[in-house]
Amino acid sequence: MRRLILLAAFVAGALTAQNGAIPSYKNLQYPPLRSVKIPDVGTFTLPNGMKLYLLENHELPLVRGVALVRTGNLFDPADKVGLATITGMVMRSGGTATKTGDQLDEALENIAASVETAIDESYGNISFSALKQNASEVLTTFRDVLTTPEFRQEKVDLAKTELRSGIARRNDDPHGISEREFTERVYGHDTPYGWRLEYATIDRISRADLQAFYQRYFFPANVMLAVQGDFSTPVMKAELEKLFAGWTAQQPAIPAFPPVKTKPAPGIFLAVKDDVTQTFFDLGHLGGEFRDKDYPALEVMADILGGGFRSRLFQRVRTKLGYAYSVSASWGANFDHPGLFQISGSTKSGSTTETIQVIREEVEKMRTAEVTDQELTSAKESVANSFVFNFDRPSKTLNRILFYDYYGYPKDFINQYLAGIQKVTKADVLRVAREHLSPKDFTVVAVGNPAEFGKPLTTLGPVTPVDLTIPEPRAEVAGGAQKP
Amino acid sequence: MSRCSQLGLALFLFSALAVAQNLQEFEKRVTEFTLDNGLHFIVLERHDAPVVSFHTLVNAGSVDDPEGKTGLAHMFEHMAFKGTPDIGSTNWPEEKKALAAIEQAYDRLEGERRKRFHADPAKVQALENEVKAAIEKADSFVVPNLYPTIIEENGGVGLNAGTELDSTEYFYNLPANRAELWFLLESQRFLHPVFREFYKERDVVLEERRMRVESSPQGKLMESLLATAFEAHPYQRMPGGWASDITSLRVKDAEAFYRTYYTPGNISIAIVGDIDPKQARVLAERYFGRLASAPLPPLVHTVEPPQEGSKQAHIETPSQPLAFIAYKRPDQYDKDDAALDVMSGLLAGGRTGILYKDMVRDQQIAVTVGAEGTFPGGKYPNLFLFFLAPALGHTIDENVKVMDGLLDRFKTQEVDPQALARVKTKTRADLVRRLDSNSGLAQLLNSYYVNYGNWRKMFTDLDETDKVTAQDVQRVARQYLTPKNRTATYTTQPAAEAKQ
Repeated sequence: MRRLILLAAFVAGALTAQNGAIPSYKNLQYPPLRSVKIPDVGTFTLPNGMKLYLLENHELPLVRGVALVRTGNLFDPADKVGLATITGMVMRSGGTATKTGDQLDEALENIAASVETAIDESYGNISFSALKQNASEVLTTFRDVLTTPEFRQEKVDLAKTELRSGIARRNDDPHGISEREFTERVYGHDTPYGWRLEYATIDRISRADLQAFYQRYFFPANVMLAVQGDFSTPVMKAELEKLFAGWTAQQPAIPAFPPVKTKPAPGIFLAVKDDVTQTFFDLGHLGGEFRDKDYPALEVMADILGGGFRSRLFQRVRTKLGYAYSVSASWGANFDHPGLFQISGSTKSGSTTETIQVIREEVEKMRTAEVTDQELTSAKESVANSFVFNFDRPSKTLNRILFYDYYGYPKDFINQYLAGIQKVTKADVLRVAREHLSPKDFTVVAVGNPAEFGKPLTTLGPVTPVDLTIPEPRAEVAGGAQKP
Repeated sequence: MSRCSQLGLALFLFSALAVAQNLQEFEKRVTEFTLDNGLHFIVLERHDAPVVSFHTLVNAGSVDDPEGKTGLAHMFEHMAFKGTPDIGSTNWPEEKKALAAIEQAYDRLEGERRKRFHADPAKVQALENEVKAAIEKADSFVVPNLYPTIIEENGGVGLNAGTELDSTEYFYNLPANRAELWFLLESQRFLHPVFREFYKERDVVLEERRMRVESSPQGKLMESLLATAFEAHPYQRMPGGWASDITSLRVKDAEAFYRTYYTPGNISIAIVGDIDPKQARVLAERYFGRLASAPLPPLVHTVEPPQEGSKQAHIETPSQPLAFIAYKRPDQYDKDDAALDVMSGLLAGGRTGILYKDMVRDQQIAVTVGAEGTFPGGKYPNLFLFFLAPALGHTIDENVKVMDGLLDRFKTQEVDPQALARVKTKTRADLVRRLDSNSGLAQLLNSYYVNYGNWRKMFTDLDETDKVTAQDVQRVARQYLTPKNRTATYTTQPAAEAKQ
């Protein structure tokens, strides 16, 4: 008997591999994953206080870098919302003491290099990229942009034109409207996290404002510079030291970013857009920070609710009902202030109310019953098995170290996170859903054509209309400026 | 083949060398093989991190949708995530019967509907209910989304697929120790696809169309551009197809499409990362060797007739103004392909493109001026496309007039040699930058292989770009950017009274 089986196996194998049975995916055996090489990042502080993070990577003949600067549009004055953004734009386009922005464009593009500047919510981001043979030349330009921006008037005007056109276009894309109205309502329209650019706030901004904003925030002790690529660390360190030796500007330390102070803004808000066939929606409320002790459990909870293909929202709203192409939930934590717990998607006008209703039911289920063993295991395995992708490129390690440092997180935070995920239990998931999800406080924003909703949105509760009118700058001038 | 230009300007000698080195370096690390059934593999070793990227490219896309069944290629792409008899069913023999029952009920429903004016509404209603019941029965055997769930649980990231007019791609990344899982899952979905949850997924595909096309001013304008520019060739429609066609797609249509176009000789696979090519070959033979060889699918024979005059179309939308202006150009195999690419770089590349400098930077009449040298696909004669978004307070007419003036000047004045050198340098550098990621590389290798028969063309293409002269660019501008070749589509505001 035994011989026969062996023989049969041998014959089958010899005939052709193609006749061998295909194993079930459940029976595949995997060898242990080879350990990941985590690259060494050299960290130094220059005499002027600027911090350096250097990472050699010789695979491609490139040198790239980014300077993080502690600033952000959270520091915009209330009557000049947009100041940080414009400063970030014109730092590069307005040129340096020795070259106009147009000259920089030509010089950089001649050698396929780039130097870019931007100011985001809570950091300034000045970056460069160069082929290895042009690295020194590009670093010099990068230094000049960072240390001696000229903010030429014509580029201030150009940036303002671009931002005004952006304001005029902000109601063209329903997805953008929903996202914006949701974010602003949850954080509060009168806070730096929720206020918006208007023609009037742009019009008040002058070149002198840009220069003052720049001076306050751009000084060496306020800069963390990360450079990676095809170089030798001691040589690059020496070059940067020399390059930035003359930059000695000093300023008082930057205060903390304003805290999020907001009360829930519950309600259903409808923005009418009658030229679309789908309703775009966002619902949720404030989330939390990465450092919260419940963060791993909240990630697992949000993943089971609306993470990937196996999530409850995907299974029910998309696969079972065919109501949406896109539907997802995320806990959306931030480094230094609460992010947004947000459920987003879009559905044909006719199934708007039903879809939001079903989503609310699924949130309620998360708060009333434990998830299944299978759901929990699946969520944990997905995080553990894909963990290697946090290290698959040296640049990811460098960026992580840089941002952890910037926001005051420990270097091994990502490992703490993984360990935290592995400890999460079904009881934890239920507990955090109960403690942190509050459907009665949900801000629900829908953007679509209510004439085609079928079941009206008011089935779900009172509906507040959203006024999409864009305030004209002149109206404010005529009526006297309101000082917030 | 030809060595990198010794005659080239010293300016990009270094980068030219770098690319030549890249090609040599790649030659050492690439293993290529074709299975007996015709399925082609390109394996690139990159052992820095224990991860692997997989990319499957099917040389069939929406251009191959049959007339009246547009959206079919896209529909099959969605079905490729639905599993197999072994993956995604609690009871395959019963599910199989239930799936067949849906089709029978649906045939009866269509039979009644086809009577049109003589159809009995009560009968239609009853048959619709039968279809619905049959679907519910079949769904009761389904483990929904098991196929992608297995990938996610095993640490798969970047899982997705895309249907273009020219081709369809499937891709994701796995930890290197789980590579065999990809061989199993990918081969099984193309060996034994199951068309379960087809009619629900049809609704999902319709939602995707509503999201990408119907609820977006750019999407609507693009659809109008293609429908206006092409009178015969299937480039005349968006990759997703028309809503009314999608609503009528049937399982048998998707099965027929699969049998015709998903043949091994029409598929190429690229694998990039921490994998032993010898082992990859053993696994490829074991798992994919059982795909039966079959003849290559037919090509699209429809040739777009010559355009006889300029065309224009408008769509009404309350959105801010947008315009697409396109000129007919030959396919990507034409001798002018490189010159057309260089022209797009000269006109609209970066912040030094001629149109950007004049219209966005200096005159400030536009916020965006873009150009796409090859659109919406490259396998067949296509479009050289311009995209325009006027600045606040400026009109499309004003913008178009200025752009036309700039293009006229471009045709008569020879281009600045430095600008030409700049575009060539950028083309090289762009390629170097794209070599950074496993998934990007897999996509690139596969795309060059499928489109040109040789992945090396991603490097040798640069020689073609280098050879382009100022005269070439001027000649193609004169030849193709002509009024007769042109299709312009604009948005307009709805008339005030029509809105009431």
